Amino acid sequence: MPDPVKPPAFPDERAPWPGPFVRYDLVKELVVALGVVLAVVVALTVLFSSPDEPPVTIQSWSKAAPADFLGVAVSELNRTSGVATYGPPYNEGTGSVQKIGPISLQEAAGVKVPIETAKDYVLEPLHEVPGAPRLRAALAAYEQAPAALQEKWAANYEKALPEARFVAGVPVLPPGRYGPVAPMMASLLAMGQSGALDGALLAGGHHFYATDYTKPLLFVSAGEYFEKLAEHQHLLGTQWGMMNETGSYPGQVWLWLFSFWYQVEPFKSSSNADALIFMVMGVLSLAFICIPFIPGLNRLPRRLGVYRLIWRDHYREVES
Amino acid sequence: MTGTTPLGAIFDLNVPAHYLSWHFIQISVPNFVVIVLMIVVFVAALLIPFPKREREP
Repeated sequence: MPDPVKPPAFPDERAPWPGPFVRYDLVKELVVALGVVLAVVVALTVLFSSPDEPPVTIQSWSKAAPADFLGVAVSELNRTSGVATYGPPYNEGTGSVQKIGPISLQEAAGVKVPIETAKDYVLEPLHEVPGAPRLRAALAAYEQAPAALQEKWAANYEKALPEARFVAGVPVLPPGRYGPVAPMMASLLAMGQSGALDGALLAGGHHFYATDYTKPLLFVSAGEYFEKLAEHQHLLGTQWGMMNETGSYPGQVWLWLFSFWYQVEPFKSSSNADALIFMVMGVLSLAFICIPFIPGLNRLPRRLGVYRLIWRDHYREVES
Repeated sequence: MTGTTPLGAIFDLNVPAHYLSWHFIQISVPNFVVIVLMIVVFVAALLIPFPKREREP
């Protein structure tokens, strides 16, 4: 066997390979790798199955927590909900607009998914209920009333809601000046509990394929019911929820750094946390991509010497 | 409808997970297990020797 020759620091890439050759069957390796992965997937499926959390729908929410549902519905009608005041991409509000210094990417992108909460979540779905002359009369009375009176009715209803009782599923509030809002909310609750509101919000865009869950998701997520379910499953942002999965399944471990920033100041208490963390992660990702060009950091692999551990046989042979 | 009941997994993971807490750090046991397994695979990849093959001259 010839003596190994120490390779030059910068070999001529055009020169023929001076070292030894090894037989290598790429197709065989591919087939073996696919076979092994398939066997592991089948074994893990049999052993652990997959997450099977029942979906939270407007129907399940309005049945389990009707008062919470009505609270959200009346705030959508009165345009005081989180979605109604959110800002871009849903409307021109400013309630959840985030900035990095003077720059707001959210505002720059503009309103791309317009949502008018009173119309989209309450009035339009109620107009789709067939028959129901009392509901028709209530809707007409509400829509013809001045805006100030509409707000007053909805505000009165919202204020009295904590004292509401439910008799055979129908909300009964203490006597008060709720105008047509009370029968409208009772109809919307019935619609929600029947499952019709899920369909109405999905088909709101009148597209043939109803796959846009934006409206029902925003509606459900405004309630305390949904937040408590998320808290129980450790899925809130304050619980490193981005990393977690429902049940006892492993989650998105690779999102640890994104989740980390939300747990520490100044991001934890900042109303611009999303925008700031987006920027921090952008800068860190750029730095990571540029490691080969950053003096000092680009010498790290040589200093750590992990490559010598991987190719230890080669280096032992070369240095002996 | 017992004839259509699907078979369950051998280990049912559709139950709430346990969580490890240390100061502000919270991690689920399943995520912790995955991280430990990744470290084990990384160390194994470093330490397990390459299979020896016959070299051609």
